[in-house]
Amino acid sequence: MNSHRNDSRKEGPLAAAPIIELQEVNFQYPGAEVMALSHIHLTILRGEFIAIAGTNGSGKSTLCKCLNGLIPNYYVGDLSGYVQVAGLIAENESVSSLSRKVAYVFQDFENQLVRPTVYDEACFAPLNYGFADYRERADRALAMLGLESLSDQWIWQLSGGQKHLTALAGALSLDPDIIIVDEPVAQLDPYHARLIYDKLKLLNEQYGKTIIVIEHHTEFIADYCSKVVLMDSGTIRWVKPVQEALSSVEELEALHILPPQVTLAIRETEEQQRPDGIYPVTIPQAVDYYRTRLPLFPLQSIDEDAHAAKVSVPSIQSPATTLVQFDNVSYGYKTITRTLHPVLRGIELAIHEGDRIALVGNNGAGKSTLLKLISGIRRPNDGLLTVCGHLTKHTSPETLSDYVSYIYQNPEEMFIEDTVRKDVEYFLKARSSEDYRPFVDEVLERLRLTPLQDRDGRLLSGGQQRRATLAIGLAMQPSVMLLDEPTASLDASSRREMTAMLNQLQGRVKATVIATHDMQLVAEWANRVIVMHNGQIALDTDQQSLFGHTAVLELAGLIAPQIAQLSLALGLRPPSLSVKHFADRIRKLMGQHRSQEEADSIASH
Amino acid sequence: MQAIKQSMLDKLSVEQIKIELMRTAFGRQSVLLSRFDPRILIVWYSFFAVAPWFFHNKTILLGMLVPMAVLTLSSKVSPLVLIIMGIGLVSEIMYILFGSLLFGGSLEAVWPLATLTVKILIISLASIAVFSSMDPEKLSDALLSMGMPAQFSFGVSYGYRMLPILIEEYHNLIHSFRLRGRSPRDKDFLRWRSLVYMGKIAVCAFYPLILNTAKRTRTTVEALEVRGFTYALISPDAKRLKLAYLRVKPLDFVFLGCSALYMIALLALGRIFVL
Repeated sequence: MNSHRNDSRKEGPLAAAPIIELQEVNFQYPGAEVMALSHIHLTILRGEFIAIAGTNGSGKSTLCKCLNGLIPNYYVGDLSGYVQVAGLIAENESVSSLSRKVAYVFQDFENQLVRPTVYDEACFAPLNYGFADYRERADRALAMLGLESLSDQWIWQLSGGQKHLTALAGALSLDPDIIIVDEPVAQLDPYHARLIYDKLKLLNEQYGKTIIVIEHHTEFIADYCSKVVLMDSGTIRWVKPVQEALSSVEELEALHILPPQVTLAIRETEEQQRPDGIYPVTIPQAVDYYRTRLPLFPLQSIDEDAHAAKVSVPSIQSPATTLVQFDNVSYGYKTITRTLHPVLRGIELAIHEGDRIALVGNNGAGKSTLLKLISGIRRPNDGLLTVCGHLTKHTSPETLSDYVSYIYQNPEEMFIEDTVRKDVEYFLKARSSEDYRPFVDEVLERLRLTPLQDRDGRLLSGGQQRRATLAIGLAMQPSVMLLDEPTASLDASSRREMTAMLNQLQGRVKATVIATHDMQLVAEWANRVIVMHNGQIALDTDQQSLFGHTAVLELAGLIAPQIAQLSLALGLRPPSLSVKHFADRIRKLMGQHRSQEEADSIASH
Repeated sequence: MQAIKQSMLDKLSVEQIKIELMRTAFGRQSVLLSRFDPRILIVWYSFFAVAPWFFHNKTILLGMLVPMAVLTLSSKVSPLVLIIMGIGLVSEIMYILFGSLLFGGSLEAVWPLATLTVKILIISLASIAVFSSMDPEKLSDALLSMGMPAQFSFGVSYGYRMLPILIEEYHNLIHSFRLRGRSPRDKDFLRWRSLVYMGKIAVCAFYPLILNTAKRTRTTVEALEVRGFTYALISPDAKRLKLAYLRVKPLDFVFLGCSALYMIALLALGRIFVL
């Protein structure tokens, strides 16, 4: 039924009329030297699902702000050209008339929520615009996103994913034709990001909304979008259908956008480049591709190399010094109804020298709390926790900070001074270390912060902020380094850079624990993986075997890297964790098959 | 002794204070006073916040104190708020008394001081009872309906929304200072060095808090623009719709009437017994 509606919508007379049309649009922010947008021509049809990709500062957000009238009504600047949105000529309209047609969910969506409860939030916009049926509108928007059960919740009680949906509901209640979502994946874990995308897909298919996402995570683009707009320094480089767009591997990589791993893998395993340059971009497409090309599908391949590699990983039983010991530790906090809300239950865990632990699990599983317990800013309600010979129960966080440094998820909460350098020095100064300056210089240099050292940490870019917090941690010369989501909300190139920095930590610290949702980081960096679920340790293993435990992954809401998913779908066990490893295995298998065939044909002759 | 000291310290922890604050703000309990129209409550409160200053007769003052105490108890106010009020009152009496003794007064000053204290107590209890049982959202709407600018009443409810987030962030910033700082090592008299250290952090943590908040406001302001906040400022429809739910019911008049009757009776009683 829905698909029928869908088809008729796309083929109907409305489909011909573009819902968004930009011609020769130029924009310059006041005081800026370069054009933020130049010579933009763009046509978007009703019911499309568009991804706008590009590096930071390429004009993606600026373009979207032209559509809801924030430019030029709110940001005064030089705007020229023709902008038509949902039948309105933007020039003649105000922010309020345009934003009734165009909903906008900001990248830092939490700051867009201005009301105390979910229901109030959904009512806010229709109430402001004086719609008498504002309650029905709010109810409808909440129902579309399946948020009815949350409607009485306080905003501060929601998880990140729920907040994002609430922001979306607040925008949907105006019944807009177009929905713009700015980098949904950046602030959410992959599991919740997928939930958001599923909702967007529903809005697109069932309610006929035109969706525009600003996105550089190509696996999401491949799964959900129909077209890609690639932007580069204020211009549109091209607009292509999704498969063609994501197959332009070199071009994407030049702009620091990582193409889907499956596309890279197939390009790697094919002997010659395809003339049309179009490759599979999603996992199902890739599975189909290999189904026709590989013999004996599904494969029953057990990779000996991987097994050999596994042995070289320091085994947990090895007699290494224990740095942190959890003995039946439980922790809970009091809620406003004065009841105890358990977060961690009966944790038994030992962290040894040489451990590089990735702590994974869905939101609310207790990952951050575990780190906070080790750092000493939370104390166990039950059980004993020993950190470098100190019982945390009787030790102040100040004393523990001689051994442990804890890097917050939100870098801004670590900038307590007004320059990066002062922040890095703070610990050493407080301990009146003698002549710490050369050491601080070295740390800053190592993390490439020397040119930024006199700037306020708050004003740096996301990647720079993460580096600055890492420098703060390193300057404390800890034995144990704890990091909470160090790669969250970073673009591909900053993320790669961060992973490289984390690899450098080896030798500087005795053990590192990272709480993360970034499975790529887990695959590339960790030597031990701890899966948490519901306040307990569900699995303690190494990263090779982690992605084979599909049941645990599902339970903990984890999504394996695409290449691991593809390996498993093809029957490769243990799954490959890098494109190169995968391609080598496939090439080897194909080679074996070919020599087998040759041998067979010789024999039959 | 050690155990008692520990449990006292636990009760006074930042965490505990945070919970009590949140309970006061978001407890959502249904109490006697929350049933009335917020505008009526504001009118009622403005009388009891001013009236005590015009009476010197302790009979009347004590008579006013009783219903205030009852209403405060019925509002299930957090003990923390009462403790803070208690500390405030005691220290206030103490410093006036010390002042009086220092400048040659005597303990006779206690009696007139008691009058002042009762007045302050009445006003404090009235404020606590009214504002802790009134949902800030309703307060904000009541202010709007009584002609306050929309920006102001929105500020009240936005503050309400932001409060828990700011408290959380403040707490994290304090931890940031502690995780890099060094607390005084030697145990000294009454641990005053530790108190100074914590006090200093508590003040310093405000600066990053303010800067971080300022940075975040940009999106909020844009979102307000997009979601029609400025549009609503000039449109009468929005205000009418928003306030449509506020209605003065018979129960509100009963409440006002009872209060008035009680005051008249009290004034009559005050003429007979002058304290």
